[in-house]
Amino acid sequence: MLFSLRELVQWLGFATFELFLHLAAILVFSVLVALRVDVSTLKLSWWLVFVPLFAADGLSTYFTAIVSIRLYQENEKRLAVLRLLWVLTVLSLKLVCEVLLCQKLAEQEQARDLWFGLIVSPLFILLQFLMIRACRVN
Amino acid sequence: MSLAQRVLLTWVFTLVFLIMLVVKLDGKVQWNWFLIFLPVWVFDGILIIMLAIKMAGRCKPGYDPRNGSPDLRLRAWYLTAMLLKLGFCLTLCAKLERLADIKLTFVCIPLWTMLLGALIELGLNIFPERREA
Repeated sequence: MLFSLRELVQWLGFATFELFLHLAAILVFSVLVALRVDVSTLKLSWWLVFVPLFAADGLSTYFTAIVSIRLYQENEKRLAVLRLLWVLTVLSLKLVCEVLLCQKLAEQEQARDLWFGLIVSPLFILLQFLMIRACRVN
Repeated sequence: MSLAQRVLLTWVFTLVFLIMLVVKLDGKVQWNWFLIFLPVWVFDGILIIMLAIKMAGRCKPGYDPRNGSPDLRLRAWYLTAMLLKLGFCLTLCAKLERLADIKLTFVCIPLWTMLLGALIELGLNIFPERREA
């Protein structure tokens, strides 16, 4: 659309398979959110609703670890370390945002002090990193 | 448009939308949800106009379809995906503003269709040899 798949892979630093994984997780997550909101008899916990996103983060970390080890073995040490650092930074920022949002939704009374500006702050940091990376890729 | 310009465009609209969303969710402003989604409308509008211009360019006399640009089928899918996303955002805003009493499942149908299409497109890119078979 605005970006080709190759440009997206270069900019975000994720492999096509990882993008597929995260997109599939978002699809399952949105179905669970709709079920949680519309079917009140189901009594799904918010932590359960967020499981697809957590699982995608875990699988992506595993995939990145494997790729980095292979790169390291093939003597691409610099590339392996850089890729591992970048993906771990992005995934940890995403995970912090997801956990905070889940806590806010699950414990609305106790988490009243947890304002949305704080929940979204990892995404603001991630946006800055993405801008810096875009300059590098360009 | 160069990659830097496209990245900057996406980055600015995402940042403005996130700021407006946070301000609204924290109850600092009482703006309409349609106004909060303004960056999304503008960004999608720009994308749809760009796509429409590129698709119209193929209808010009003397156009060579072998010049390496994505085919019409792909552009038509992009346009459909954009319209599905717009449909999702519009119905979501209508639900949040309580203009229409619809279930979230129905609101999400355009989003799911778009995500399924994107997954198929990505899957075909992961396994390109099956596409040719």
